[in-house]
Amino acid sequence: MAFEHALTQLQNLNFPTQIRESDWLFPTIETVHVFALVLVVGSIMTVDLRLLGFANKERPFSQVASEMLPWTWVAFVVAALAGMMMFSSKALTYYSNIPFRLKMACLLLAGINMVMFHWLGTRHLEIWDRGRPPWGARFAGGTSLLLWTTIVAAGRWIGFTT
Amino acid sequence: MIQEFCDWLSTTGISIAFQSANWFVPTVQTVHIISIAILLTSVYVVSFRLIGVTRGRQPLAVLIARSTPWVWTTLCVLLGTGILLTITEPARELLNWVFRLKMLMVAALAGILLVVQIRMRRSPDYWTESLARRLAARAIGIAAVLIGAGIVTAGRWIAYV
Repeated sequence: MAFEHALTQLQNLNFPTQIRESDWLFPTIETVHVFALVLVVGSIMTVDLRLLGFANKERPFSQVASEMLPWTWVAFVVAALAGMMMFSSKALTYYSNIPFRLKMACLLLAGINMVMFHWLGTRHLEIWDRGRPPWGARFAGGTSLLLWTTIVAAGRWIGFTT
Repeated sequence: MIQEFCDWLSTTGISIAFQSANWFVPTVQTVHIISIAILLTSVYVVSFRLIGVTRGRQPLAVLIARSTPWVWTTLCVLLGTGILLTITEPARELLNWVFRLKMLMVAALAGILLVVQIRMRRSPDYWTESLARRLAARAIGIAAVLIGAGIVTAGRWIAYV
């Protein structure tokens, strides 16, 4: 109840109200969100595909990862900020939307998967950096690929259910 | 004439079948978005090298050769899923000036990528061997970045115009 109250207050703030009532603000923020998200997904999937052995097989994993991660982080910050703006404009609607909840859950799981991979999956990296990753690292890559696909799908479904 | 074509297409069995399946459009759009994610990331990694923003540890020619199959595979998937979406809602796409602008930008980007790839295949040093070529590479890289952003922007605005 208190949470719903906070969301109502959020969407009644000045800028969220402007986003909701303007003809062009929401589509513009959404465009920035999609543009950034596309780069987040593309750069993460490049790393995932290297782990799974579908791309950049001849390159050291550490090289692929260190070249792609700056793209991921910069684009993620932009996508997250734009996403928060969109959320604030109709906070109550999004909060009760099932695809939105699924998307947030998958984002959380993708974050956990990434942290686990960096803690556990990159131990002994010097052994497999130039070759085939151990099954744990491949599993992390496959999980990430699946989660980000679900994030895109759920994100698209939000637009058809709100 | 395009109007008549859209009217006809939207009454065909295949279009009606796509329209009546609620899951169809969001699913096809999801595949479309993931393909553009891989395409745009490949294009941007190459473009930033052409511009000189990033240095990277693999030679430009190797980077371009690696990205080439991904670029054309994802473009084919984008074309295929785009056709499916157009069959489902012909008037939404074909009568929309933003859609037409998007198609022009897609053609321009494909042309640019083709030129970059062909020149590089003939001579690995093509884009770096003189100042004029380096400047041309920089201009081409900037154009590809802007057109890529334009395509995504137009793609989203088709829904609003």
